[in-house]
Amino acid sequence: MNMEPTQFKHLSAEEQDWLDAYLNGTIEREAFEALQERMLERPALRAIMRRYLALDHHLQNDLTAANATTEPWLAAEAPLNVVKPKRQQRWLSGWAPMAAAAALAFFFGLAIMHWGTPATQGPEGFETAAGEQPSARGFAVVGRLFDATWPDQGTQHREGDTLEAEVFRLAAGTAEIQFFCGATMTVEGPAEIALKSAWEASCNEGAVRVRVPPAARGFKLHAPSTEIVDLGTEFGLSVRGGKEQVEVFDGKIALQRDGDDRSILNKGGALGLNASGAPIPTAAGAVAFPDADRNGSRAAVQRATDFEHWTTHRDALAQDPRLLLYYTFERDKIGGLIPNLATPRNPELDGAVVLAEPVDGRWQGLKSALEFRRPGSRVRVNVPGEFAAFTFAAWVRIDSLDRWYNALFMADSYETGEPHWQIQNDGKMILSVMVDDARPDPKAKDGATMRFQHLYYSPPMWDQSMSGQWMHVASVFDPVNAQVSHYVNGKRISREKILPKFMIKTLRIGNAEAGNWGQPFREDPTFAIRNLNGRMDELAVFKVALGDDEIARLFEQSRAQQR
Amino acid sequence: MTEHEPAPNPQEDARYEVFVKKFAHFEADVRRFVRSLLPNWTDADEVVQQTAIVMWRKFDQYDPETHFMKWACVIARFEALAYRRKMARDRLVFREDVLELMADEGVEEIDQRDAEHAALESCMSDLPEKSRQLLTLAYTQGVKVKELAEEAGSSAEAFYMRLNRLRRQLMTCVESKLQQPGHA
Repeated sequence: MNMEPTQFKHLSAEEQDWLDAYLNGTIEREAFEALQERMLERPALRAIMRRYLALDHHLQNDLTAANATTEPWLAAEAPLNVVKPKRQQRWLSGWAPMAAAAALAFFFGLAIMHWGTPATQGPEGFETAAGEQPSARGFAVVGRLFDATWPDQGTQHREGDTLEAEVFRLAAGTAEIQFFCGATMTVEGPAEIALKSAWEASCNEGAVRVRVPPAARGFKLHAPSTEIVDLGTEFGLSVRGGKEQVEVFDGKIALQRDGDDRSILNKGGALGLNASGAPIPTAAGAVAFPDADRNGSRAAVQRATDFEHWTTHRDALAQDPRLLLYYTFERDKIGGLIPNLATPRNPELDGAVVLAEPVDGRWQGLKSALEFRRPGSRVRVNVPGEFAAFTFAAWVRIDSLDRWYNALFMADSYETGEPHWQIQNDGKMILSVMVDDARPDPKAKDGATMRFQHLYYSPPMWDQSMSGQWMHVASVFDPVNAQVSHYVNGKRISREKILPKFMIKTLRIGNAEAGNWGQPFREDPTFAIRNLNGRMDELAVFKVALGDDEIARLFEQSRAQQR
Repeated sequence: MTEHEPAPNPQEDARYEVFVKKFAHFEADVRRFVRSLLPNWTDADEVVQQTAIVMWRKFDQYDPETHFMKWACVIARFEALAYRRKMARDRLVFREDVLELMADEGVEEIDQRDAEHAALESCMSDLPEKSRQLLTLAYTQGVKVKELAEEAGSSAEAFYMRLNRLRRQLMTCVESKLQQPGHA
């Protein structure tokens, strides 16, 4: 006879509590350990757990497929859901994560075409130094670059740049091109590649290696004499001084020349191609094709070196007496609290992590960052005292600007003298300090809202094409020189005068948070939800106004790239 | 080195088709199995995805005599363990010995799970609309109960209590249905 029927009612109250908490994701570490101990002892508890976990699975599957709620605050999440692949289809993307990412980028790209920059005029005293905005159109992106140099007349590409139908010229070094179909091309310079679509390109000159996952099968590469159709995995093509060489490393390719039958070249096969006459079999390995794996290990070495340089910079910066806060979000240092590295160490200024999750930072595998994707994510801190100026600087990776306002660093109550540093959904950075919270807002229609302030905007510094790229942003509130400046990657992009009526000289922070704002004064969800959909790798707040040179140096040193 | 091609790699395409069909058929079961081993959906998704990749890579080693789902569970178990080791230590993931027990015993219960699912569907249809709505909200992907409760002007504790009670009610209902004649 079974002494332990598996009905839930035979769980002790304690066990039932543990089970509920585990299902809800709210179980405490201690209870979790106790639960596991009990599970080891008691097969019946394990069986019940499995029943409940299956119930959980069925509910999740059946309910969410059926209908979505129309609660307005949930609607604020909609832009995220639209581009998420359906759960049932997700595994397919496992073949080619890159293809999935590319497909997402492609959808974004389409959306972006309808997303114009609003033609609003900047406020008076607005001075802009922004260049033209990168376009989000295209069907490929520049992947990793290794010692890449560019022809004098050609485009100076950067990692992450979007590519469209254009001729990609590389003078020397190695570059990766990631096509949105999922194919990756490693190009060794000097090279000239004509990009035609997400599925097609021509190699006019240079050596390339093409890696094609199953999802991108059918990718076409034209050599001057021959069309090559990839039937899966990996091949190389070299076009140098009129000589064409092709070699298959894995899988197979189809070769097609005008007027000829299609022929297949299998793994290990190598051919010399000619404009006329039959292809000539050659020895495999005779031509050195660019090697993405070798590049991968080189990249890892480069990352490690850069990261080491950064730690030197970090330790030096932490000694700067002008620092109020310095968070670097390193995983081994995240235990619910982010230490404020500014010296002398003051644990009172450590940041409390709420819901934000440690993720890869700027140096994958070496440095972590915090992600604020979940609507409740934030890092909280209380900074007492009065200050004469502010400089905010951060390394951020923005995935999308989903919110009307996307928080970088925000004082809770936004009272007189307190700052708000954030990004508007059109990509403009905003720094503001409450001038007088007891005087009517000059822009308020009802004349009763007591928020006398002025927002200092930068020109748009972000659009969807920059999604996932790390960037250094900084803003300076400088009452002494009566100006507010914004910087991206060490360069000033705008500066605006602080008009006498908006002047405020005694600054405070008090309770504040990074990555979100918990006290919106309107209930409207588009206004109220301000978490930054992205990552923060470093945040520094200074109690002084840094100058242009200092911001540029801060960027250079914290970037730590020795290239 | 070259050969004429009648059609683009038909065998490979056919094999791929077979695999996709089979996997699609069992995907929900695989996901359910993996979910019983890992703390949340995101983790389970990762592992199911990885499992699919590994299965496709090893598909030529698959013995058609074995049950596809059993084979999937063997690989998913391995992938879940690998994932567990990879994850930060401070996450609330089952210890290796617990995870292994859950996996090994879970493999034997696949049919039972299907019966429970059928019973649950019938129980759900008897559920009052309000309860159903609460469940739907709680199980919407990406929604965090804490925020949900805050938005609804209730405390997270109160929300969880209702949710826990509902789940227990459903479980009672499922068990009573399974004990009725006609059910194994």
